Amino acid sequence: MSSRSDVTTGPLPIGQFVQMVRRTVIQDPLFRNQALKGEVTQWKQYASGHTYFSLRDNDGQMNAVIWKGKCIVDSSIKEGSEVVVLASLDLYAKRGNIQLVVDKIEPVSVLGELEKKKRELIEQLKREGEFDRARRPIPPVPKHIALVTGAGSAALSDMQRLIENRWPGLRRTVIGVLVQGPKAAEEIVRGLAITRKLSDPKQAEKRGEPPVDLVILGRGGGSPEDLWAFNLEPVARAILASPIPLVSAVGHESDILVSDLVADLRASTPSDAIERVVPARNEIELFLDEMNERLTIASRRQMADCRQVLAVLQSRLLVAPIIGLNRAKGEVIKLSARLKMAAHQSLARQSTRLAQLEASLIAIHPQRVLERGYSMTQSADGTVLSSIIGLKSGQDVILNFADGSAGAQIKKINSEGKK
Amino acid sequence: MSNDKPTYSEAVQRLETIVSTLERGGMGLDETLKLYEEGAELLTLCKHELAAAEGKLNELQLDEIETELESEKQ
Repeated sequence: MSSRSDVTTGPLPIGQFVQMVRRTVIQDPLFRNQALKGEVTQWKQYASGHTYFSLRDNDGQMNAVIWKGKCIVDSSIKEGSEVVVLASLDLYAKRGNIQLVVDKIEPVSVLGELEKKKRELIEQLKREGEFDRARRPIPPVPKHIALVTGAGSAALSDMQRLIENRWPGLRRTVIGVLVQGPKAAEEIVRGLAITRKLSDPKQAEKRGEPPVDLVILGRGGGSPEDLWAFNLEPVARAILASPIPLVSAVGHESDILVSDLVADLRASTPSDAIERVVPARNEIELFLDEMNERLTIASRRQMADCRQVLAVLQSRLLVAPIIGLNRAKGEVIKLSARLKMAAHQSLARQSTRLAQLEASLIAIHPQRVLERGYSMTQSADGTVLSSIIGLKSGQDVILNFADGSAGAQIKKINSEGKK
Repeated sequence: MSNDKPTYSEAVQRLETIVSTLERGGMGLDETLKLYEEGAELLTLCKHELAAAEGKLNELQLDEIETELESEKQ
């Protein structure tokens, strides 16, 4: 026997059992806020304001209820309409029926119509060249961010928390607007108009704060209809008219909205927007400290280099005169050596010349002629006689030979060639 | 750079150029001093810009802020 039967006094009353089942059904997150698609049957709107129907397709069906005032029901919904509902499962204990409690119902045709309008708007903006325009650059350090988003929304508190993490005390203005429902587009446009005013330097001066220099238009995720305001033309035009950079941060990763296409930056979620536009202050400060240090070190080193160049120049200046003198002295020495050399060479050339002359002289000395057998005749007074002219018979002459001389007397005079 | 006060990103860009120029070395004393002074000024400016981002947190509903802005105009 199980322990359960030990504590139960008898069979479980069905009502208690049904409540147990109900608790299980309503607690399962799988069965909460589910988007479901199907066809409407047995559509009944009661005078009490509640609406009952069944949602069906070929493979199954389930009863559904829309409690009075819970959501706006499109008047086009009727028997056979294709609809998308957002619903949670509940169990109606009285009847033991499992039923869907609907929070939202949209005819599929409406969504189709919206999609068509969105595509047309995108086409139109593309034709107008709005997607090709230069995007306004996001300021590296925004001085005043305007957050246009749902007041008290989860998206807002996520953004606030992230901003405080990254840049505590970063100046920001939250402009709370409706971000879904029929009035959302109008409120977003009004909110953006306010950011335009707050970005005006004159207006900002009056308020005693820097002008808004960045706008984040944010909203958390939701169904396509929830996000629809961001696909509407007035919102797109207001974004395009923004004089300051604007970040579109709507929905989840995969939702691409017209606001994303016309904004200066598209963030996939509000948190992503903060990550991308709010720098981490401590990182920036670290960077600036590092730059400061590098600047100081580099300048000091540069100054030291300059000082060193100066010191080298100074020492060179001190020895420069000596070096100059030495160089002059060297020049003098070199020149005197060259002079000496030149003189020496000149002398040598002269002596060679002399020797040659001497040799020539020696070659033509009369003694050499006498040695070859010629003799030289001189008159008594020493005059060399080289002609018969003036000679007289009986005249005393001296005959010179190589090895001596002899006195002689002219006996006969013959003219040349007649011996 | 223009004569106007540089923006934060212009200041950072110029600061990086100055620091790497100084780190490369090879300039005279005049230029070193000039660059250092400019760099120090840019640093001050950057820090000032950071401080300027701090401020009060406004949280306003559409109607209040619109009324406020209207009243300021008069």
